[in-house]
Amino acid sequence: MDNRGPRAGEPVVVAKGVTKTYGRTRALAGVDLEVRAGEVLGLVGHNGAGKSTLMRVLAGLEACDEGAVLVHGKEVSGAAGPRAEDFRAVRMAYQETSLCPDLTVAENIWVSSRHCLPRLGWRRAASDAVRRRLDEMFPGHGVTPRDRVEDLSLAQRQMVEITRASLVDRLDLLILDEPTESLGPDAARSLYDYVRTLTAAGTAVLLISHRIREVLSVADRVAVLRDGAVTAERFAEGLGEQDVLTLMGAHVAVPSEQDRAAARAAGDAADRPVVAELRGATGPGLREVSLRVGAGEVVGLAGLAGQGQQEVLERLWHPVRRDTTVVGTRAYVPGDRQRSGVLPLWSVAENLIVTAMRGLARQGLRRPAEERAAVGDWVERLAIRGGADAGITELSGGNQQKVIVARAFASTAELVLLDDPFRGVDVHTKTDLYALIRQEAAQGRSVVWYSSENAEMAHCDRVYVFRAGRVVAELVGEEISEERIIAVSFAESDGEQSNE
Amino acid sequence: MSELLASALPSRARMRRTAPAVVSAVALAVMITVCASLQSDVLSVGGLTLVLSATVPLVIAAQAQMALMSVGDIDLGIGNFVGLVTVVSATTLVTSPLLGALTLIGLVAAYAVLGALIHLRRVPSLIATLGASFVWLGLGLFILPTPGGSTPEWLASLGSWQPAGFPAPLLPILVVALVVYLLTSRSALGVRMRGLGSNPVALQRAGLRPLTSRVIAYTVAGALGVLSGLMLASQTGGGDVSSASSYTLMTVAAVILGGGSFFGGSAVPWGVAIGGVTLGLVSVVLSLLDVQSNMQSAVQGVIVLAVLAGRVVVGKVLR
Repeated sequence: MDNRGPRAGEPVVVAKGVTKTYGRTRALAGVDLEVRAGEVLGLVGHNGAGKSTLMRVLAGLEACDEGAVLVHGKEVSGAAGPRAEDFRAVRMAYQETSLCPDLTVAENIWVSSRHCLPRLGWRRAASDAVRRRLDEMFPGHGVTPRDRVEDLSLAQRQMVEITRASLVDRLDLLILDEPTESLGPDAARSLYDYVRTLTAAGTAVLLISHRIREVLSVADRVAVLRDGAVTAERFAEGLGEQDVLTLMGAHVAVPSEQDRAAARAAGDAADRPVVAELRGATGPGLREVSLRVGAGEVVGLAGLAGQGQQEVLERLWHPVRRDTTVVGTRAYVPGDRQRSGVLPLWSVAENLIVTAMRGLARQGLRRPAEERAAVGDWVERLAIRGGADAGITELSGGNQQKVIVARAFASTAELVLLDDPFRGVDVHTKTDLYALIRQEAAQGRSVVWYSSENAEMAHCDRVYVFRAGRVVAELVGEEISEERIIAVSFAESDGEQSNE
Repeated sequence: MSELLASALPSRARMRRTAPAVVSAVALAVMITVCASLQSDVLSVGGLTLVLSATVPLVIAAQAQMALMSVGDIDLGIGNFVGLVTVVSATTLVTSPLLGALTLIGLVAAYAVLGALIHLRRVPSLIATLGASFVWLGLGLFILPTPGGSTPEWLASLGSWQPAGFPAPLLPILVVALVVYLLTSRSALGVRMRGLGSNPVALQRAGLRPLTSRVIAYTVAGALGVLSGLMLASQTGGGDVSSASSYTLMTVAAVILGGGSFFGGSAVPWGVAIGGVTLGLVSVVLSLLDVQSNMQSAVQGVIVLAVLAGRVVVGKVLR
């Protein structure tokens, strides 16, 4: 499957005054956007700005209410809705992957690319194609076409999803929705290398990401989506992260001087009562990890993805081994909200209160008035859109995440474990949640926070950096910075020195 | 080291998936051993034929159940459906073979329509198939109010076929499992079915209609149900609409024993064959052990629970 695109520079997909309304929410309010052959167009905007809706319209999954979508200059937004044939050369890699977990990798390729596979022997053809493309895009991926998707890691699933989207006989536009959220830095780099070869062959790439620096380093142009319309289009050359954030209308989440002071104090206060402790913990994925969590402390677990951070959370959640001591109750915020976070049939209120319910109940009987008060309090405090009675699945991803975080903090747990909960959450929500974490810590709660985003670690009192199941550095207070964390998580010799 | 780990991981996942069928197979081996120790003739060709023949319709019906469970549905009507097929084959198929054959094809089509209705009207399959089971029962009673009739010559001779050298019932069990395996695990149609059970959204995004997947699954289930009924009629030599009513839940148990899941997405034809034979053999073992017939159902249930518990334990160990 080769990718012969059109000549560079000519528009591949054009949106003209596209609007889309769901019920009372106006998701798109007249979007004008042009994606040209051979370019990488970065699309930024916080959750709720209409990115996903725009993507669905551009990928031909949904019709727009007004306006028009043109593919190669041909209007394809007929009244009967978009037709699959018109959008065959437009492919999209979803953030929450669109793979069937019970099927093998090759079978998933058949599902999405069957029209370019032979009727007989499709399995071998799909296997060969996906193996070749995976080798090309993500060297060292460790995936075989016979693997079932459910047995793959999150990062591998993301790789397969991107590969799936790129496998087609003719690719004019590739839409990448948060492609690097689950990928390590190596995989991200090789992905963007491949994106370059794609654009050199004339394919257009539309990149959506919350990682603005990444967008700026890869994209030729950047479009900013805000409240359902494109408010700015700039060339990426010479544009800074701050500029983009300003265009998005976001407040940049930088901890205030006060927070810093608090963090310094926490770092010094070695005499705080210890809430949780690991002493030389060794096991699958962990090698002699020692760490300590004091009362009212926010402890970060940093480093590249999959270096033992989640195993530490697991140990703290189930402290069954001798080398782990945890005092008091715990609450856990999972990272994979679709799989282990929300209770999809329940309302926001029920999802929020389920952990705290037992604490509020009297003699095993629930007390609806108290529950409602607590829910109302949290909904207001975190400004959860949709209110307490909305179904949880009606909320946007960011708001769902708020509910899950609130669930943990609404309980009486003394130790809150966060398993990278802010993946793909918009800047506003993140800022709210960071503030929440600091507030709760100030009231004496302890938080253990694993994050794949190093910038988030600035909100911690103490950060343990992991590499290959070991703690390679412990950073306190002002030592915590993105550059420092990256430095210790990459440089092996450095890391081992700081461990000693 | 990490490379070694990586190469070991998929095999572990595969072990976890095949574990239920392995547990059932162990239970099967134990039961055959018990049978053989009580009655050494069981291990002869004739003995195995006798012991296995009763399991053939059950195993085929269990494959039908698996087809539906692979899309995430469940069939509570399969027992009465098989019973209805025995009635048709003992009456209409004898008096006017053409009409009888058409009726059987019509029954398969009815299953397909049922699947389409379930999809389009968004009725839970549990309820729709339960309703359908009363329809099958009513139709069966209408055609043949009391058990009786006689099966056509060719069907009866099929039931009494005794080749030398191997137990005849193994042949339909293995052939049907192979066909279902090729269909559900190797073919594109199977990918559509399992894809629906696994992630309907992905299917839709790829431009595949979930309705088609569901109708395919129901058609397959209907065809296997008809085959199961024909095999049952060939063994009993007559028609009885309630002769297979215990199949409904036994087939579900067989699928679960074989490693299937209620949530859909997986197809385990070989596991289902093992699970079905295991379940069918339980009653044979119990009669050889002289367990009172009043107690048999209870003991059967306990044995099924024990095997399921074994499946859970093995699953935990392999996690």
